[in-house]
Parts: sequence; C-alpha cells; structure tokens
Amino acid sequence: MRKYAVIYRSVLMENLQYTLNIAMSFISYFIFIFVFINLWNYIYSAPDSLIAGYTREQMIWYVMITEALWFGAPAGTVARQASSDIRSGNIAYLVNKPYHYTLYILARYTGGWSVQLPMFAVLAAVMGTAMVGPLPRFSPLHLLAAIPVVILGLTIDAVFRICISLISFWVEDANPFQWLYSKMMLLIGTIFPVEIFPAALQPVFKLTPIYTVCYGPAKLIVDFSADKYIEIILAQALYLGAAAALMLFLYGKGVRKLHVNGG
Amino acid sequence: MNAIEATELSKTFRVRRKEKGMKGSLRALLHPETEEIKAVDRISFNVKEGEVLAFIGPNGAGKSTTIKMLTGILYPDGGNVRVLDIDPSKKRKQLAYEIGTVFGQKEQLWVHLTPYDNFQFFGAIYDLSARETEARIRELGEIFELGAFINTPVRSLSLGQRIRCEIVASLIHKPKVLFLDEPTIGLDPVVKESIRSLIKQMNKELGTTIFLTSHDVGDIEKLCKRIIIVNSGRIVLDESMEHLKYHYLNKKIVEAKLQEETLLQAGEGITVLKQKGGHVKFEVDTEKMPISDALRLIGGENVEDINISNIPLENIITEIYKAENIGTT
Amino acid sequence: MSTAVKHRIRNQLRVCLLAVKFNIMREMLNKVTFLTNVGFMVLNNASFIIQWIILFRLKEDIGGYSMADVMLLWGLAASTFGLSRIFFARAFSLPELIINGKLDAYLVQPKNVLLAVLTSSTNTSAIGDLLYGLLVLCIFCFSPGRLLLFLLFTVTGAVILTAFSLLLGSLSFWFVRADAFGSHMVNSTISFSTYPDGIFKGTARFLIYNLLPVGMAIYRPVHVMMRFDGRTFLAVLGYTVLLSAAAVFVFYRGLRRYSSSNLMEARM
Repeated sequence: MRKYAVIYRSVLMENLQYTLNIAMSFISYFIFIFVFINLWNYIYSAPDSLIAGYTREQMIWYVMITEALWFGAPAGTVARQASSDIRSGNIAYLVNKPYHYTLYILARYTGGWSVQLPMFAVLAAVMGTAMVGPLPRFSPLHLLAAIPVVILGLTIDAVFRICISLISFWVEDANPFQWLYSKMMLLIGTIFPVEIFPAALQPVFKLTPIYTVCYGPAKLIVDFSADKYIEIILAQALYLGAAAALMLFLYGKGVRKLHVNGG
Repeated sequence: MNAIEATELSKTFRVRRKEKGMKGSLRALLHPETEEIKAVDRISFNVKEGEVLAFIGPNGAGKSTTIKMLTGILYPDGGNVRVLDIDPSKKRKQLAYEIGTVFGQKEQLWVHLTPYDNFQFFGAIYDLSARETEARIRELGEIFELGAFINTPVRSLSLGQRIRCEIVASLIHKPKVLFLDEPTIGLDPVVKESIRSLIKQMNKELGTTIFLTSHDVGDIEKLCKRIIIVNSGRIVLDESMEHLKYHYLNKKIVEAKLQEETLLQAGEGITVLKQKGGHVKFEVDTEKMPISDALRLIGGENVEDINISNIPLENIITEIYKAENIGTT
Repeated sequence: MSTAVKHRIRNQLRVCLLAVKFNIMREMLNKVTFLTNVGFMVLNNASFIIQWIILFRLKEDIGGYSMADVMLLWGLAASTFGLSRIFFARAFSLPELIINGKLDAYLVQPKNVLLAVLTSSTNTSAIGDLLYGLLVLCIFCFSPGRLLLFLLFTVTGAVILTAFSLLLGSLSFWFVRADAFGSHMVNSTISFSTYPDGIFKGTARFLIYNLLPVGMAIYRPVHVMMRFDGRTFLAVLGYTVLLSAAAVFVFYRGLRRYSSSNLMEARM
C-alpha cells in the first residue's frame, strides 16, 4: 500500500503548485452557481414553499455541493489518461511496473481532488452563507459524518470511469461511452435531486451510480437522517465492491489480450 | 541600386528580471526590475540588387531581430531601414507584395493540403489570378523539381521536399527580395546540397536578391558572395567571400604520408600538429613561408600521398567570434 | 467605391473563404471523427432539453419564457457560438499566439492581419452547434420571418462574441495572465446565455446587460423574435458595430506594441 501513498503524495505536491489555476476555475464555478441561485429564486415564488420536499436553501445548497464535487474532482486522470494510455500502447510499459495500473490511476486521481475539493468546499461554504442563507437543521456533526460518504462516492465514480476507460482494450474509442456517463451524472445527478423526477423514474436512478456518487453525499449534508445515512453507506459498500470487481476483471482480461496480441 | 539599406539600425528590448524562488516572484510582482538588452546596436549595411548575402552570428547575436525589422514584423527604435525603397515599419503591406520569407523552423504551408493547393492559396493572398498562379507554379515547379509530388499532401512529404515547397510558396508572387532564415536546418547533407544549388539557380535565373541567415557554414560558403557577421548586436565583419578567404585563409593544413620517417622541425611559419611514423600533419602560415618552401621540407620524392586544405570556414568564423569577445570584454 | 478598392475587398474575401474552406477540409480528413464530433455536439445540446422539461413541470413560466421560448433561446445561443467558432475559432485562443510570438507569420502577408489570424483555425463541434440551432428553430418555433431574423441574429451574435473574445484576448499584448481571465469571461457569457434573462435581477441583470455581451448577443434578439421591436433591433445592430470597432481598435493597438517591442521574455 505504501507505494500508492507515495504516488498520491507526489500528485498532491504537483497540484499544490497549480493553485492559481484552480483559483481561476473558481470563476466558472461561481458563475454557474450564481445562475442557479437566480433560477431557483425565481422558481420558488413563496419563500417557505417546498419543491419535491426541499426548501429553497436546501435545493441551492444541494446543487452547490454536487457541483463542488464535480469541479473539485476533475475526471481527467481516470477518464482521459487511462484510455489514452491504452490507445497509445503506452500501457504495455505501465503493466510491467511493480504496481497495479488501475490502483496507480486511482491514487493519482485521489491526489488531484485532495487539493482541489477542499478549496471548492470553502468557496461553496462562503458563497452559500453569503448568498443563500444557512441550511435548516444543519449541524457540523452531519458534515463530519458525510465526509466518508463523499470519499466513497468519489472513489466509486472513479472506479466506474476507469471501467469505461478499460473498454478501450476492445473498442477503438471509449470517449463516447465516457461522454454518456458524464452526461448522465451531470444532467440527472448534479443539477437536480433524485426526488424531483417523476416517481416512476426514481427507482431506476437508484440503480445507477448517481445515487451513491452525487445524491448520497449532497442529500446527507443538506438533510441528514440516520436511516438515510445507513442506507447510503450500505449501498456505497455494495457498489464499490461490485465496481472494483468489475474493474479488476476487465483489467485482467484486457492485459491478457495485450499479451496475446502484443498491444 | 541597393535592395536593402540599413543605417544605424537599433533595437533595444526591455527584459524583466526575476530573482529565483517564491520571494523573487513576489518582489518582481511588486517592483518589476527591468534590464535593457541591445539586441541590435547601430548596425549599417547595404545589399545590392541581385546579391546573395549571408548574415550570420551565434544565437542571440541579433540576426532574427534584424530580419524582423527588415520585413516589418518589428519596428526599430533607432536608425533607418529601407527595403526596395520602402520603409517596412510604415508600409508593411505594400512591402509584403515585394518580398518573400522562409523561416526554416516555422511552417507556413497547410500540411493537409497538396503543394499545388497551397500555392493556389498563396497566389490568392498575393492577388494573383488562378491563371497567373498556374503559370508561376509551372515555372517554379520546373526549377525546384516538384513534379513528382506536387499533388501529394504536404504531411506525407519528406523534410527536404517540404522546404522546397516552402521556398516555392514564398516565391509565388515574384518577390524581388527573399529572406531565408535558417533554410537548411535539420536537413541531411545530400538534401542540403540540392537545396543550395536550387537557391543558387533561382538567384541566377530570376535575379532575386537573397538575404540568408544560417548556422551552417556550408550554406554560406556555397551560396554567398558576401558575408556579414554579427555578434552581440554589432557587425563585426562585412566582407566579400573572396576577401575573407584571402585574409583568413592564409593558413594551409598539409597532411602527408611519407615513405620514410622524417622528423619535421617546427619553425617560422610552421606548426606541427601531428607526427607519427610516416604520417605528418602541419599548419603552414603562407605569409611567413611560401607553401613551396614548406613542401620542400618534407621532400617531394619522399611523398606517398598528400592532402593540402584550407582551414574550414567554420573555424575561421569561430576565431572571429572569439576575437570579438576578447575585444569587448 | 473605386474599382481598385472593390478588387481589394473581393480578394480579401476570397482569401478568408479559402482559409475557412481549408480549415474544414483538414477537420474532415478523418470522416468518422468528424461526424462523431458534429453528432455528439448535437446530442449534447439536445440533452439539456431534459433539464427544461423538469423545470417547466415545476412552474409554467420561467423568467417570462415558455418552453418554446427557451428552445428558441437555446437555439440562438448554440448557432451563434457555432458560427463564431467555425469562422473565427482563433479569436478564442488568441493569447497563445501572442505570447508565443506566432503572429510573425501573419505579419509578412500582404493581407489584413486580423482577418488572417481569426480565420486560421476552426472547431469541428461548432458545426454541430450551428446545426442544432437551426434544427431547434425549425422543429419548435418555425416561421419564415423568424428564420430570417434568426439567421441575421446568428451573424450579429457571432460577430459580438468574436469581438468580445478578441477584445479580451488582445489584453495578452499587455498582460501575460490575461489568457485565463479572458477564457473564463467568455465561458461565463456562454453559461448565462442558455437561461432566460427574466430570472436575473439586480447585480446579475447589470452584469448581463453591461459587462458581458450576452444581453445584446442573445437576449435582445430573442425578445425581438418573440415580439418584433424596431428600436431594439437597431440597438443590436449598433452594438455589434461598436463592440467590433472597439475590439479591432484594441487589437491593433496591441499589435503595435507587439511590433514595437516587447514580449521578449517569452520570445527570446
């Protein structure tokens, strides 16, 4: 495990040097959230009405959290780098290194968000407090409890994306699949909570990674309940197990194909 | 009639100085310290119409800055330039119709198009009709022997073929002056040689004035009648090639294989470079000792094989740079 | 107009069109990649319909817009950005050319430098944007008059957006860090442009009608297409001319700086 810690640390150091660029992408985040604040302010005509069980504050905080996860954990490493390593044939050099390639990618990804996500979390907290108002029934303890859920969620997301990248062993270009996945997460997972969709669709969304990656963490921060907490953690454990198994299986198959065909 | 006239041409750059590390970065942000670099320092020269001139110097000597001022990319901050009697900084566009440029390291061709389509594009840029361009392509295609690959996309051409196309593209509008910045960089010796002879032929047939910068002494030796050497923004030498050779080529290297070992004594005008068995190599300063006297020393009937050569131009130029540096520092 | 001037303008246009044609030819070298890029952009834009279906389930009018109005807004935004990125993609990456001293090649040509620079690259997915805009107009809110207005506003919008990027990109002649700032401002304009202007109040309203060009590029034209108003129409045209003039002025001021000194730190 130590070597993955070292990979993680070196990416962390590397990212710390790009803090200025990260600060620049604050502008995009800010504008995005700013638009949403205006949008929800307009749609919530009465200040204390509920939409799909969410107050205005909860709805906006929900978007701020999911978007902070989106901006704070850029998927470039797990999505583009892995598939370009495979497509370019670079993978042949990487499989023989004394580490597991997928864990190497995962460690790099984690090093990336460890720097960025806290920065976006601070930005979101400041923006929310200043422009939206505090969440009802919020307690710092809920936030603390949600941290493992966030970490699990990001890891599940990464593992799924790596799985998609691994498809590159068999198809020319995995980018369209990557794109579909991103689109689904962005349009369904980050801008709306699951409850807002028609009741018939909700169980379907629960089966997709949206539930454990975006909905879980954001829901627990804006509206904590012990039941939900246990339900989500369990779902995440299940998902992570299944996704990791799939990843290792695909990787094993892919590498075997590589050895047979010579890349 | 002069094609290019430069008098007291100068260009100074202000470069920001930064100390190392975070502290330095912060200090530079608050109090930027600048330092002036005289990239070109009061240089004057003329180039006659139809002349082929080599403009050479080490990196950072001011070659590119000069060429940029002559083509109107950069404005001088002192002195005067006239190219074909046009001031490049005032009438850049008008001048552009009269000159051609080839920057060896920067490509101007569209790599996914064929040379033919590229030439048509450049023809359009220079307001030629499709028919005029066509005729011009035929003419230049013959000189530069493009026939075999004129309809192959540029990206599939070899480096040598590409540079030939680059040159043709810059000649499409019959420029009176052609600026060649490092035209043979990265080419292999055979291709270099053929590019040189093509440039020479073009100069002869079309009478184009050529202003050439190069690191490659071969380019200069083969192509140019006149040479200007710059260093640290100043002209250190402006001579005809003949003159340069006459003055700097008074040293000959003699290498001989002798039947019997003869011990050669270093003396007035003779420096022994190597001596081993029947092999000798020595330098003769012909101002001090005529070459015939030197040959007498080793004995004509004793020679099995002999080779007499000039000191390579490269060494001469290096000598000139060195002498200049000693002079200035 | 004298014939010489006419001749010059015609030649300039011919060169610009040739450049755009060659750019697109380059993108089409790999047909599959080309079509995928275009197709995915259409799909990408279409996917946002889901968002609006959900929002309109919650409330019937959003910022004074109906579903069809939002589609019109989306359509105009997409085709505007599409058109400007097909013809003038380089306006969006101008700082890179300036900072690396790559303008030299355009300066030795006898044609207009600005046009040569702007038309020197293209963006494939932009074709998908333009197509999507036209598709949306034809499916959701077609009328012949509207189509004419739509086409005209696509052009003015594209010019406004290009001028805005050119203006911000030209700041790189003076400030090295201006590149990131400029691209974020342009992205912000795009973010705003797909939401009804009626939802913005106070500061936001000030921002979209004064600092960012989105009001004049997208919102006003949409208002005119919803209900024709001659004064707004003329205001849009006037703004297009003024902003372009300002951008061209700043670019040439910057170019003079480029030529008279002094971006040497990067160029040595």
